Amino acid sequence: MTVMIEPSRELRDVCAIVGAGHSRLGRVPGVSSLDLLVEAMRNAVADAGLKVSDVDGIVCRGPDESYCHHQRVGERLGINARFSTTLDNGGASQIMAVALATMAIKAGLATTVICGYGRDAWSRTHASEEARVRNETRPESLRAQEFGPEYGYFGAVAAHAFGATRHMHLYGTTREHFGQVAVAFREHALRNPDAQMKKPLSIAQYHEAQPIVAPFGLFDCSLRSDAAGAVIVTSRERARDLRQPPVSIKGFGSFNNLTGWFSGDNMVTTAAKESGEAAYRMAGIGPAEVSCAQLYDCFTYMVVAQLEDYGFCKKGEGGPFAASGALRIDGRLPTNTSGGQLSEAHAEGMLQVVEGVRQMRHTYPAERQVKDAEIALISGHGGNQVCHSTLILERA
Amino acid sequence: MMSKQKPVPHPAPESMPYWQAAKQHRMELPRCNACGQFWFPPSQSCPHCLAADFAFTPVSGRGKVFSFVTFHRVYHPAFAGEVPYVVALVELAEGPRLLTNIVGVPVDKVACEMPVQVVFDDVADGVSVPKFTPA
Repeated sequence: MTVMIEPSRELRDVCAIVGAGHSRLGRVPGVSSLDLLVEAMRNAVADAGLKVSDVDGIVCRGPDESYCHHQRVGERLGINARFSTTLDNGGASQIMAVALATMAIKAGLATTVICGYGRDAWSRTHASEEARVRNETRPESLRAQEFGPEYGYFGAVAAHAFGATRHMHLYGTTREHFGQVAVAFREHALRNPDAQMKKPLSIAQYHEAQPIVAPFGLFDCSLRSDAAGAVIVTSRERARDLRQPPVSIKGFGSFNNLTGWFSGDNMVTTAAKESGEAAYRMAGIGPAEVSCAQLYDCFTYMVVAQLEDYGFCKKGEGGPFAASGALRIDGRLPTNTSGGQLSEAHAEGMLQVVEGVRQMRHTYPAERQVKDAEIALISGHGGNQVCHSTLILERA
Repeated sequence: MMSKQKPVPHPAPESMPYWQAAKQHRMELPRCNACGQFWFPPSQSCPHCLAADFAFTPVSGRGKVFSFVTFHRVYHPAFAGEVPYVVALVELAEGPRLLTNIVGVPVDKVACEMPVQVVFDDVADGVSVPKFTPA
């Protein structure tokens, strides 16, 4: 039934990311998610050495209750666009934006496309005592009305915790393994002056923290952040004349387990597997060539699952792989080198793209730079846990 | 303000027969008259073969815990007195999986693959919610 597909090699290395920027991160009260996004976009345009009038495409995502968000972005940037749209794949959207930008440029529909996402999740979940209890970023109208709330089932923490429990049952994965993910990323965040989390995290503190939805405790959960990121995509040819060392878009992929997180073994072998296979094929590389990973770390467990699904280790071995120190900046696979969503800030995967670009430029001070980094693998995950996207970048 | 009452199901039109059966302490799921398979949550055509010919059909009410989580944090004030409580994904003997609570057992005794049996909790006037207990 399944037909093998071959991702087009004609898209390999035809575009580059030439600008990257982020907004203020963490607690930024009184600023809308749209203004945070525009702030990140302004920074990306300046980083690229472009004028905003050079941008002729916008691919973005808005808050869950928004409509045609790219129109509002264009209005604030003061530009029309040859190609613009808004995506709807949750945390997988941000890489999809870069993929769609690449396709639009290759198709001749635009030359210079800005991609980005911003959210006001800290402000939204701290607007009132009720908002703090609910800890929910989606509007009321999108919440489940049956088969969940009557059982006290709420939120993304619990949804992902189901996967963690099942993985622990099947493979003997432990909270110690998850804790080593949190500790490694916190150590990276301490090297990042913009990161939301400023204090060290020990494995003892991880274990002592309050349980949230077991098996997850406080430090298994990513941050509520006001945060935005943006990148600019153009052709490799145009990239040559621009300010920054160009970073080549080598491959991308996506996969969506639309039958649901609770179906089959989707909560243990995630859509990262097929998404990664597509991206590797387009890029013409395999996991052994990846020099750093920027993975969608909404929860520690999702890092463990993706390490396996992307082929960095075998299925079931993600916990011991993480606990081996492999994810540290000087480890075998430096991962989430800015601190990730667990410790830098959570912009639904957009800051992972920004960090992947920066690692490929080799412009970081030594303590933040992955040594000899040539290829970055970046992941996006979301949309009720089942949408996934992958981006592979190379130092050009 | 958030209600101190626990949320009750607000059924979609396609779920009404499921909840009406639950009210009478029966578990009935849509079963395809073309391919014979059950599915959940209810919808108007079979997700296995797309046939629209189906009937709500009684199931055994037996299954096993596929996975589970334990809520310690309170996300809704009505559950403040309940924590810690278990939300589980139960795989019925007939195949479909559904979210539920595991009751009648200490939270630290719940395990994947544990055999369970449906019980009905009369949560409000005219509203019964299926939960599961060790078989």
